[in-house]
Amino acid sequence: MELNAGTAGTGSHETASERKEVAALESLQFTDEIRRLMLAPATDNASSFTALLELPAPQAVQLIHSPDSVKLTAVHAPTPNVDDFKGSFHFPFDSGLIERAARFSLFAGDGNINVNNKSNSLEPTSYNSTANLQKPVKSEPAETESYQALVSDPTVENRSIKRKDREKVKGSTKKNKTAAKDSSDDAEKLPYVHVRARRGQATDSHSLAERARREKINARMKLLQELVPGCSKISGTALVLDEIINHVQSLQRQVEFLSMRLAAVNPRIDVNLDSIFTADSGSLMNSNFSGMVMPMMWPEVQLNGNRQQYPQQSQFGAFQQPVWGREEVCNNYMTPENSLLSYDSSGNSASLHSNQLKMEL
Amino acid sequence: MPLSSLKPKMRPHSSLKQEFLKKWIMGLQRCSFSKKNMSILERKKAIKFSADIAMASARNGTTCWSRSLISNASKEGSDIHVVEQILGSESDRPAVENKVPTRRASVCKKIVKRSCRIRRRRRRRKCVASAPSSIAKHLVRKRREVLKSLIPGGEFMNEICLIEETLDYITSLRVQVDVMRSLASASVRASE
Repeated sequence: MELNAGTAGTGSHETASERKEVAALESLQFTDEIRRLMLAPATDNASSFTALLELPAPQAVQLIHSPDSVKLTAVHAPTPNVDDFKGSFHFPFDSGLIERAARFSLFAGDGNINVNNKSNSLEPTSYNSTANLQKPVKSEPAETESYQALVSDPTVENRSIKRKDREKVKGSTKKNKTAAKDSSDDAEKLPYVHVRARRGQATDSHSLAERARREKINARMKLLQELVPGCSKISGTALVLDEIINHVQSLQRQVEFLSMRLAAVNPRIDVNLDSIFTADSGSLMNSNFSGMVMPMMWPEVQLNGNRQQYPQQSQFGAFQQPVWGREEVCNNYMTPENSLLSYDSSGNSASLHSNQLKMEL
Repeated sequence: MPLSSLKPKMRPHSSLKQEFLKKWIMGLQRCSFSKKNMSILERKKAIKFSADIAMASARNGTTCWSRSLISNASKEGSDIHVVEQILGSESDRPAVENKVPTRRASVCKKIVKRSCRIRRRRRRRKCVASAPSSIAKHLVRKRREVLKSLIPGGEFMNEICLIEETLDYITSLRVQVDVMRSLASASVRASE
């Protein structure tokens, strides 16, 4: 989180939205780079892909791979954008695949195949076809692999790797897009996740969606790991979650404890604060926090002296004892916490506090 | 500005701290205005309560946990004036509006949870999973449930949302702790 804040350099108030913006920016740059990488060898991929398609036997299997990504876009995005789609995937969906699909009559269930490649019409057809072809696909995964191994191995791998990167990136962009609900930038951003079946993994749409979701979760878990101190060394989700839970619980306990301490120290809640805010601004020139607070706290100390007459003061004094005892304990407890937390030490935070008060006054 | 001397990672937090402090103090003043003599526990509760509300309102309804915290707080009639004071009358209305759907959603979610629990129990009786992956999943699921119980309004979130909310909640808790600690140390030093 701190790295993101440092690199982005934005001055936004909300850290979560800032993080998202940074992630969006980074992912955008990423998408541009990857797009450039992808479009350059697009022709090569096209040739290899059509070469794959010309292979006689498992054309159905090959066709599964491409309509799978098409179908997934239907699954993931309610309103797919045709132009985006065309812009991103130059090679398979323009003419070659559609013609062959029509020829092989796999999409016999739905007769209206437009060569103009309207993805809307393509999706239901591919869905039907994949539903029919699930079993043959699963029965011959080995054959797919063998064929993929035969023909242009590195390009396929590159493609799958690029798709993997892109799907990770697209996951975050997709999230930002759905949050922003704006798909005007068609050339730059894609509004849906492109997930590609990797080698040796199931091409089931559910598993692909599941995988995309899992990667989203893993990305966010990494952020959490960076945030919580001592979590980056731990491997394994359960232990990391344990640490996170402990951290949240300790923070909540600290809040409780500090509020108790504040309640004990101050006889009334707002005495302290009134004295802070009624102080003259002339005494604020020195940045020393204790120096600033001391002259302002004198009225409060006098108030304390006045209140000694009241019987409540005995109660206050009685409570004072355990508070001081607890304070020592909490000092020991908090200094390791200070070292663990990625914050500055309490000294710096105190100076920050003084600056805040200065700015308010 | 002395702020520039601080480390860069403090910069995004400083504005949050200021906002939190302002709102908290507003709430505290409102609290003490209503009741004159309070026991220490009441005071502590009031302090913590106003701190929580201030922290949640600093998010301005962008996060789920803040919304649910505020709606939970505004359900009790006694402290609602504190909430209004901190939030301001304009921003309180969307929080109040969110109350009703969360109640319905909570009822629905409870029903769903109950059915899921029953289904899970049946499944557990049937097959004791010995595969390491399912054991791992079981562990993770348990911890996720614990996390859901910790984060306010966490029961209604899916996994992705939960992790994001945790991130935000942790940062805001840290801010809260820091401000409270500095205030406490200042007042302690002053009363010495």
